[in-house]
Amino acid sequence: MEPIVVAKNLTKSYTKGLRALDNVSLTVDQGKVLVVMGPSGSGKSTLIRTFNGLETFDKGELNILGIKVDSTHDERKVQRIRRKVGMVFQQFNLFPHLSILENITLAPIHVQKRRQTEAEEYGMYLLSQMGIDSHAKKYPNQLSGGEQQRVAIARALALRPELLLFDEPTSALDPERINEVLDAIRRLAEQGMTMVVVTHEIGFAKDVSDQVLFMDSGKVIETSPPNIFFSNARHERSRKFLNQLDNQ
Amino acid sequence: MVKLCSKIDMNYIIFLLRKLRKALFSNVFNTVITLLIILFISLACFQTFEWLIFKANWKVVSSNIPLYAFGSFPSNEQWRPATWIISILSLSMLTLCGPEWKWLRKNLLIAWVGTIPLGLYLLYGGFGLSPVMSRHWGGLTLTILLTACSSLLSLPFGIVLALFRQSSLPLVYRLSSIYIDIMRAVPLISVLFFGQLLIPLFLPAGIEIDRVWRAILAFTLFVSAYIAEDIRGGLQSIPKTQIEAANSLGLNQYQIIRFILIPQALRIALPALTNQSIGLFQNTSLMAILGLVELLGVGRSILANPEFIGQYIEVYVWLACVYWMVCTIMAVLARHIEKRMTINQSNF
Repeated sequence: MEPIVVAKNLTKSYTKGLRALDNVSLTVDQGKVLVVMGPSGSGKSTLIRTFNGLETFDKGELNILGIKVDSTHDERKVQRIRRKVGMVFQQFNLFPHLSILENITLAPIHVQKRRQTEAEEYGMYLLSQMGIDSHAKKYPNQLSGGEQQRVAIARALALRPELLLFDEPTSALDPERINEVLDAIRRLAEQGMTMVVVTHEIGFAKDVSDQVLFMDSGKVIETSPPNIFFSNARHERSRKFLNQLDNQ
Repeated sequence: MVKLCSKIDMNYIIFLLRKLRKALFSNVFNTVITLLIILFISLACFQTFEWLIFKANWKVVSSNIPLYAFGSFPSNEQWRPATWIISILSLSMLTLCGPEWKWLRKNLLIAWVGTIPLGLYLLYGGFGLSPVMSRHWGGLTLTILLTACSSLLSLPFGIVLALFRQSSLPLVYRLSSIYIDIMRAVPLISVLFFGQLLIPLFLPAGIEIDRVWRAILAFTLFVSAYIAEDIRGGLQSIPKTQIEAANSLGLNQYQIIRFILIPQALRIALPALTNQSIGLFQNTSLMAILGLVELLGVGRSILANPEFIGQYIEVYVWLACVYWMVCTIMAVLARHIEKRMTINQSNF
């Protein structure tokens, strides 16, 4: 079967000399979870933001769900990708002027042209899956961070995506709110959703991931299965990073 | 303050009085100054009330009420503008303290926009009402009509200008910047002169826009530049991440503007937009200089009447009161709408 994400030699430089992405290649198969780790500024966010066209790149090739994109960043292809790829951000990025349910049904109604009743029904189903259907009529600022992030996940799921991208989904949350979000992501993984997750949560990465990709200054240092990466990482740089996380 | 005192016992009032005595009568010098100020204020109040009640001749107001309200609108048709003003007033009351029915709240905006075609129909006539030329329109009716039409037209125009000014296309960006800068560098009165005197010269023979519409057009051109800047402020305060989130959901450029940017920008710009429409209401009085008989124009024409000659103060005090009342109603309405929005969106 064709992989969901294939990246070949992605390279992006902001200013001369500073490379955000340096020859990054990777593959994510159907139903697999790739966890991306690395110190801040290593290019993790930039990498997954290229997957749905929020970032461009200068060299290389990307194949998302069979749609090929290169450095020309063809707008129409990017739009087609975005309809099949959901994204969850660190800061939730809900629309504050819309109610929770409206946040979720906006794209299904206007992008996929679904009927309002159908979109609302499916939206309520997703909210009940996330355990927040009682908040459907409220506005984002009336919810806690963890609840808002679960709404954001439901919003990403509303387009029935084939790939989900998570950009540090728990980094802006209070420690006691992190687990409710991680549990929701874990359930999605069990249901077989293909995902790319940028995170610093080691415990979560251990149980949920099929592969761990470690980056530093725009380069892929290593890609290993979690049992190897967390117990016996191949590279000195990875081991040093993990030690630092442990000490925190 | 009254509420506060009635809740708190007498001791608090005594405490306040003691504090006041300490502040105002602590020594001879303070006492003298306090007494002088009290004397001065009471004299001024006395003089004012004496003038208001005994000296002023309010006949110049009371015998001309229909003129202030409707201008020279034919007297047997004056129920039409009266109906319009009453319907606007009752809509204001409904907005402020009407019941919380959902369908009502949803349709209030449509009702407000609908007052403008209703007003134009009632004033122009036709379809069963006898037609009235716009040169007979006047008084408060004309002032409200100028304000309502100009604000309604300049809002979409201002939104478009603001969006163009944010555009990445250099030509579009330049043109709207130049337009906004020119309009903001020119005094309103000269734009109004341009509307009244120059527009007829530019138009090809045979096409004529009547004076009221030329005034509305000039106000719209001017105010929309200011509205554009207010809305641009709103647009700029929306975080870029909102656009990213919308992009990642596959919304296109138009949908992002329509569903994400404009609603948020309007909400943020609402206090500034209120300011603009109150300012616009007051600025319609400039049209009196240019020959429209709106509220101030009516006042001037009444003063030109030999019967009321020299009674400037009465007329202008009265006009000030009318302007003040309408502006207050507008401000209260705007504050009410702002409050409702913040209740809905919590602290958005």
